[in-house]
Amino acid sequence: MRPRTRRGRALARSGQATLGLWFVLPLVPLLLWAAARRWSYPDVLPSSWGPEGFVAALHDGAGPAFASSLVLGLLTAGLAVPAGAMAAHALAVDPPPAARTITVLLLAPVFVPPFVVVMGLNVVLLRAHVPPLFGIALILMVTAIPYTTFVMRSAYAGYDRAIEDEARTLGADPRSVLLHVRMPLLAKPLSAAALLAFLVGWSDYIVTLVVGGGQVVTVPLKVASAASGTGNDAVLAALSVAALAPPLLLLLVVGLLARPARAPRSAQTVPTAPAELGLTGAN
Amino acid sequence: MTATLHVTGLRKQYTGSAAAAIAGLDLTVSSGSCVALLGPSGSGKTTALRLIAGLDAPDCGDVRIGGVSVLQLPPERRGMAMVSQRPLLFPHLTVLDNVAFAARMAGASRRAARSAASRYLELVQLGALAQRRPATLSGGQAQRVALARGLAAEPSVLLLDEPFSALDPSLRTDMHQLVMEVRAILEPTILLVTHDQLEATTLADSIAIVVEGQLLQHAGQQELFGSPASLEVYRFLGGLNEIPGVLVGAGHRSALGVLPTPRMAGRPDGPAVLTVRQESIGVVAADDEDADVVGVVARVTPRGPRTLLEVTTKAGPLFAELPAGRGVGVGAVVGLALPMSARLVVPESGGRRRDRVAAAQIIDGSPSRETQVLAGADRASEHSSIRDRS
Repeated sequence: MRPRTRRGRALARSGQATLGLWFVLPLVPLLLWAAARRWSYPDVLPSSWGPEGFVAALHDGAGPAFASSLVLGLLTAGLAVPAGAMAAHALAVDPPPAARTITVLLLAPVFVPPFVVVMGLNVVLLRAHVPPLFGIALILMVTAIPYTTFVMRSAYAGYDRAIEDEARTLGADPRSVLLHVRMPLLAKPLSAAALLAFLVGWSDYIVTLVVGGGQVVTVPLKVASAASGTGNDAVLAALSVAALAPPLLLLLVVGLLARPARAPRSAQTVPTAPAELGLTGAN
Repeated sequence: MTATLHVTGLRKQYTGSAAAAIAGLDLTVSSGSCVALLGPSGSGKTTALRLIAGLDAPDCGDVRIGGVSVLQLPPERRGMAMVSQRPLLFPHLTVLDNVAFAARMAGASRRAARSAASRYLELVQLGALAQRRPATLSGGQAQRVALARGLAAEPSVLLLDEPFSALDPSLRTDMHQLVMEVRAILEPTILLVTHDQLEATTLADSIAIVVEGQLLQHAGQQELFGSPASLEVYRFLGGLNEIPGVLVGAGHRSALGVLPTPRMAGRPDGPAVLTVRQESIGVVAADDEDADVVGVVARVTPRGPRTLLEVTTKAGPLFAELPAGRGVGVGAVVGLALPMSARLVVPESGGRRRDRVAAAQIIDGSPSRETQVLAGADRASEHSSIRDRS
């Protein structure tokens, strides 16, 4: 609801600006460091600029790490979104017995730190010959499912199934209803759920470290490695900026999808008497 | 491609429900005709429509289109299309693609489907809005698109589920006009579900009245109003006057005396309720020779261009409608003329035994042994009967 008074609007605007600064300010030194060739104390800004941080990061294997993170994020989203959507559908549309208990169980992974359950699972995955990246994604899926389930459950709560009945009577079989009606209509929450699941995979450190056993090197591992050393500020900043790019891009896509349809400037008037249109042959 | 719809013995009782939502519905909608399923909210009309469409499975009964049972077919293969109270347009598609949806599902190319769809969109006078999104349409426009989408499916039977009840009266009238013109052009077979008598009488060739899951009467408009099969039908169609009494020969004996009634073959003598629709009753001077009943005006209720009078008579309250401009005040003594052609003796139904008791009391002056027994039984059920009527 928009504030009605001028003072209220001014307060709202200043609140929004403060919130914006809260998000943007921490990124400023990061961007400066990423673009700095030389930045010595007590200079307020870097004394010279250059892409050395990015170049060094690439030489240090940031490219493959970036690719591994991307694959891990996509795998996690690819596993957690369908599972979450199906769980949400079951809970929202046709609740099973003890739905509340199931809901609590689905939420449980959020309360349990991943490293508590991951110890030992690495051995199981190793013995089962599960590829490390896929194994990590399998474990991260458990962490991601609560997010995808609850996003999709909210979506299903507002989803009118009558529109599917309408599609059925218009000739759509269940598969067509899924592809041409349900998925397009749920595209926004699906993409939001995918973004959350992607972020779980993209930003994971512990599970990757334990299950990957050093074979799988992702961006967070690179960032942690750079941060543990000294004199790597530019490389660390470049890695961090690179790590920001995909989530921001996805956020932008989800934001664009979530934009409401624009209303026309003026409603068109509708004549009342239909003209003869030569449709008599329809029988 | 229109076809005749036959529904036989259709029944559905939902789990946990004490009564069947629809109990043994038998209905025929001839090819190219329009039948209205008219009933109050919760009477089972929409359930019947969903069973016919295949969206729910009946407990028993059959649905045949063109003589072929479609009971085992899923909704998408029954050759029907449904237009609901809410337009239920696909928000992610343009208006044109909404109308083209059925053709696309049937395997038509995008171009062919859109080409056919645009003709139906023109039919509902919305060709100019083809590229708009449903969210940008007004309620009336959206419902027109929904109708075009249903027609574009070229269904054997078009199911209309209270399609215009969410529209304002002016738009509803426009939509009625549109449906009539569409019927003249395409001659679709239509099963219309509505609780609006005006809509049913305007659009349908015949009307099937459904109350509490039971089909009470299926007939043309004239027959329904001229010869209601039961008091429930009479009441549902808005009839207010019920005079309990006894049918004796060609007359109805009640507290009003013996009123001659039109002869009706096969109607036995005995307890019967005389009905006269309020709009048929003439209000005359108390000493007018046309006055069949004299009473005192107890209440005057304006009803748009007409006024409803409640007149207290020996037989209880009777209602009469007056045209605008005739002022009659509360307390006035008036005569009521009950035209012979409007006097209908309607059979009593099981739930109306109180009338029979009252009639017996009127005739005999004191309760007989039979009426005392009946009255005792009625007192027990009086509370529930009143609740049901309210």
